[in-house]
Amino acid sequence: MRAWGLAGLLGVAALCGHAGQAPAQGANPAAARTLDDYRHFRALSIDLLGRTPTRQELTDFERPDFKQEAWIDKRLTGPGYPERLARIYMDALRLEVGPAFAYTPASVILRRQLVKGPEGEELYVYYRQGQRRRRDVTDGEFCLSQAETGLSFPLAGIAVGESKPVPQQILDERTVVVRPWWLYRDFEAPHATVRLPTEGKNADPLFVPVDELLRDPDKSPTIEVRVCREEAQTADVGALFSSGRTPAPAKAPKPGAPTADLPRGRFRPYPADDAYAKAHVGDPISCRSAGALTMSADCGCGPGLRHCLPGDSGTNNPRAFSLPTRLPLGLDLPLGSTPQTVSDWYKFWWTQEAARFLGYLFSADRDFREVLAAHYSFVNGPLAAFYRTGAPASCCDREKAFGMIESTEPLFDPKALPTDLAPFDTRTWKMVPDRGAHAAGLVTMPVFLAKYASRRSRAAALYTTFLCRNFVAGKEELTPSQEPNLTVRPGCASCHATLEPLAAYFSRVEEANWTFLPAWRFPLRNLTCKKNAQGRLPGFCNVFYDGDFSDATAGVLRGAYASLDHAAAGAAGAAVALGDAPEFAACAVQRVTSSFLGRPLTSDDDDLLTALGSEFRRNGLRMRPLVRAILLSDAYRRSNNISSAIWRRGDHE
Amino acid sequence: MTTRLTAGSATALALALSACHRPPIAIAPTTVQPLLATAVIPQDTTPKEDVRLLAAEVYLRTYLQLFGGIPPVEAQQRARGNEGTALFDNWNDYLAALGFPDYRNDLPRSTQTNGLMMATFDRLGMALCARAAEHDLRDATPLPQRLLFAFANPPATPDRVAFAPAFDLLHRTFLGYPARLAPAGRTDAFFDVYRDIVARHADGKAPRTRLTPVQAGWMAVCLGLVRHPEFHTY
Amino acid sequence: MKSNNAALPSRRDLLRQGAAGAAALLPGGLALRALADEQSFGDAGKDEFFIFIHAAGGWDVTLWADPRNTRAGLVEPASTANTETGGVRLWKDETMDGDIHSFKLLQPSGSNLVFGPGIGGLLDFHDRLCVINGLAMNTVSHPDGITFSVTGRHLQGSRSLQPSINTAMANELGLAQTFPSVSLQFPSSYCGDHLDRRAVPLMIDRVGNIAGVLSRAPQYALDGDAMAVTALLSQEATALASRSAYGDVLRGMALQYRSLPGMLSPQMQNLFNDAKLRAAHPEFKYQARGMGPSAVNAAFALEAMKRNLVRCVSFALGGFDTHAGNYRQQAQLQQTMFDIVATLLRGLDTTPHPTKAGAKLSEHTHILIMSEFCRTPQINLGGGRDHYPNNSALVISPRFRGNRTFGRTDPDQVLPLATRKFSDEQRAITPPDLLATFVSAFGIAPRKYFREGEVVPELLTG
Repeated sequence: MRAWGLAGLLGVAALCGHAGQAPAQGANPAAARTLDDYRHFRALSIDLLGRTPTRQELTDFERPDFKQEAWIDKRLTGPGYPERLARIYMDALRLEVGPAFAYTPASVILRRQLVKGPEGEELYVYYRQGQRRRRDVTDGEFCLSQAETGLSFPLAGIAVGESKPVPQQILDERTVVVRPWWLYRDFEAPHATVRLPTEGKNADPLFVPVDELLRDPDKSPTIEVRVCREEAQTADVGALFSSGRTPAPAKAPKPGAPTADLPRGRFRPYPADDAYAKAHVGDPISCRSAGALTMSADCGCGPGLRHCLPGDSGTNNPRAFSLPTRLPLGLDLPLGSTPQTVSDWYKFWWTQEAARFLGYLFSADRDFREVLAAHYSFVNGPLAAFYRTGAPASCCDREKAFGMIESTEPLFDPKALPTDLAPFDTRTWKMVPDRGAHAAGLVTMPVFLAKYASRRSRAAALYTTFLCRNFVAGKEELTPSQEPNLTVRPGCASCHATLEPLAAYFSRVEEANWTFLPAWRFPLRNLTCKKNAQGRLPGFCNVFYDGDFSDATAGVLRGAYASLDHAAAGAAGAAVALGDAPEFAACAVQRVTSSFLGRPLTSDDDDLLTALGSEFRRNGLRMRPLVRAILLSDAYRRSNNISSAIWRRGDHE
Repeated sequence: MTTRLTAGSATALALALSACHRPPIAIAPTTVQPLLATAVIPQDTTPKEDVRLLAAEVYLRTYLQLFGGIPPVEAQQRARGNEGTALFDNWNDYLAALGFPDYRNDLPRSTQTNGLMMATFDRLGMALCARAAEHDLRDATPLPQRLLFAFANPPATPDRVAFAPAFDLLHRTFLGYPARLAPAGRTDAFFDVYRDIVARHADGKAPRTRLTPVQAGWMAVCLGLVRHPEFHTY
Repeated sequence: MKSNNAALPSRRDLLRQGAAGAAALLPGGLALRALADEQSFGDAGKDEFFIFIHAAGGWDVTLWADPRNTRAGLVEPASTANTETGGVRLWKDETMDGDIHSFKLLQPSGSNLVFGPGIGGLLDFHDRLCVINGLAMNTVSHPDGITFSVTGRHLQGSRSLQPSINTAMANELGLAQTFPSVSLQFPSSYCGDHLDRRAVPLMIDRVGNIAGVLSRAPQYALDGDAMAVTALLSQEATALASRSAYGDVLRGMALQYRSLPGMLSPQMQNLFNDAKLRAAHPEFKYQARGMGPSAVNAAFALEAMKRNLVRCVSFALGGFDTHAGNYRQQAQLQQTMFDIVATLLRGLDTTPHPTKAGAKLSEHTHILIMSEFCRTPQINLGGGRDHYPNNSALVISPRFRGNRTFGRTDPDQVLPLATRKFSDEQRAITPPDLLATFVSAFGIAPRKYFREGEVVPELLTG
């Protein structure tokens, strides 16, 4: 078998261009088609069109001039083909983030409270949790005090107390009305007038604010929304703010109840002034950084509130938009939608970015290594908004100790984003040719980094999916041990000797997050984070530096211990290393072949895989020639057992 | 525990030990008689691969195509008509039973049928076939606008000869090949079901349904094809 | 292989003959005896019901089965510093470190068992609990741990190589039921040529989604119309299978067509109706934090067994993957889960068995609760616990000894310790051992389903 080579394995006729041709043509061409021909054509349709053939397609197939290879070639450039291949890798990576992961950054979410207006009418006021305000009583809180509303919000924004009318003057002082982006297409205009359709044929089924966001408390359609004044600010740059108040005592009173220990009118202690802000009062800070919420009183949600997402309550993860819970046929064919939370809005679009990326990779027939290494990606309005303000919001609370107050080298550089995408524009997708120096295919996308939250799980997912190898420990007993190095620890080493160096590639990407830790802030060996005489790291170092592998000369960045070289190379280095591994191409061939044959492969398929692998490599690791070869192979043609020959024999016996 | 050395094992051990120390024994080749055939059976050269279940995405796309090539939301509206959930619930209720993977919860796709999946195929098939029979098999629908039952109105009395070409058209539509290539007897078997159902609906004592006897008969044929094992596998 | 030539024995027949031949050669005819046992228990098993629960995400065993409330070695116990204790009923502070308190250990009167507060309402049933600690997992990967715990074998590639325990039990004892195996987000697997396709788990994401699937519109078909079509399809599938070189899929479809009429009744629609299940079983706390809504799965199990429509119900109760601040809710989550199980047990105690006169369901219902692994003894920088290759499991079954703990872990690192001499070596118990023991309790030869694993008779009654 091995000596037959590619021609034999893939079917000599196929390579000669005859296998797909109609058999002997006669007066009744349809009669000349065998059942096997029909079944083969049906399988091709299923795999390349994503559905069974229509009557018209069957009729075309039966025509004497039907050219099967030409038909295949045309479908290999059609929309069904990339979807078919993307399904293989989406099944393997399961790129949707589960319910355990919620992304609800305070700087981006506009929650709302129900208060009473001057006439006792109910009205919503939008605000951000933790917003710094210059007024003591509401600094870090809702912008209307308990004295003004009768309400307090001690727990997760749930109102407590008896609501009372807020005088108009107070309302005007503390809040403003805005025509926001989720209601108006021209939200940036001084007087927006063009409503976004929410019903009818012009409505976008993928941009549907929940009904609560479209109606005022009295159920009338919302024309404009009332927002705390600070949140409505539009500056891009603010100044670092410090209240100058005395810090809260070491044992601060428990929040939630007005006690004598709390400042008058407040239900929580004052927010602590940030040490960095205190040291740099008045210095500029980008209003798009997460720190701006707590370090500046000048930063808001921008024109038309475009940099924030609305929520329908004051809870931690309020509902925002209706979305399909599943999207099995892609964005163009959504199923029904249900109301989803703010966090789900983000997660939904993260998945779509990966799907769009894979779709392009396969439809443009790019070198498959780009799945891990590509710098390009695709964004639509919601994703552009996320990368501009949502993604940076996960940084930089803990990083401030290292002088990093905003994400300085993000995996997706917001400067690379198109500027003409509105947050509601779900239909327009634009390619971003270069996301930035640290971008690497799927590997640095939020959906991957959130789904596989730890360095090790990221490494394991790549190892399994793209090298077709698994981490399964031997039967070695796992005994108690003080050895922190898992690459040598008995019982661990059989997996971790491979896993840890691979995981080291992710040392510079925070776990459960996508914040990149730049080398100039976070050197792999940090002299500042060396161990002291007691063998401890300085307290602020512990989060990022690993005491187990640090010494008296330097702290070692977490995750980097198994390979400083890999850590330095970053996620992009993992992409290169995996793409260059000999198993990479073989694994891709194996996955795709197994999927198209519809069965697990066995050693009987080795020769076929070898031949297909040669074809794959010869074509620069592009999938289209590989899939073409599979579709024309004898193995594909006989990939199920119902053979017309058997049937005829059965019928006549 | 004591170990007993049996005669046989002692001999084997002795042979093994002696084999370690002596020069190899030369054994002269002898002529071997061919084994006698006890029976002659044909070599089984058929491929040993089972049929595959359509991916749920393929099922769904095909279903929508059969429904007239419309988006899922519209198909849901048409399937429901003005009868609420009598024929159709909503797509989300069917996804797990159809075998779609749930990436969010890390549940893999189903690659085998199960009883519930069969029930779901039945439920969805009923919605498709009932709506198609209502739409297509009436005088008001011109032939070119008949999506599934794209043939002239069949005779009220079942007729085996007239049935065959119409069945062939449906056979091609659902199973992708002409009925004449199917195992012998398939057309007749479907005709028998068709005839019985038409007769049952035509019986004046039977409860009335929204379908005429002919519509009910063709709906059953459609249902038999859209639920057919060959429809769901490839 | 099913040959087209009736004179040729099928591959399965040959394998059977081969197995029988091999069995006859075994000393003492062990395999033959196992087959005989299987036969004799087979009938006895037809009145048994099974519930398998997967605690999804990897639970913290130090909060319930293998409790730790003091610092030792790597162990940083659950405490008021890392756990929300307010809603955890059985949490009683035990001073650990100044203002920081861990919990008091819970030892029911007259029992050797010791639990942490996560055990919740199940503490009341301590005399029925068979706790397995120190279950060696040899994996900290979710997919692999899940597969290993329910099939007894690690993944190969991304494939399961063995059927999951619910499939095995359904295949053995459930084929005559309308629903041999209902699997609600449970990590079921079905693989092996020797399985009957009726045992393919009915994979469902939510019970309530199914009622519609099982309803039919009478205004479009007469009674018997669909039946006639279904009968035709069953014949078609059988005929196709007989013409096929390898017809397992088609034969399976034929069986599934035949089982369909039994599924399509109004009674079934009630069974799979979320609202009706809640109304029928108000005793479950569906509003409980976290997995409260999933209690409807337990209500479904109870109702389906009461009506004798299922053999196995398997479901997942999730949210235990607490790497970060969400660890603060781990104890509460465990309490919610075990409260659901306790409520289920009470229901089984008061529900008559559908086929055994005078018997209660609880006398013939067998519950196995597993997770994919446990969590690290140390708290990580995010305030959570990561994956750890130790585990515990819980069996509640009249055929397993109650009030019993088997297996142990070391005090400093919560790693499995060798507890018993198995035929291969002195070692810790593993999931294959537990699964083998479970099936053996019903006279099923473990090797029929699991390549590895050894029966641990100490766990069994009688």
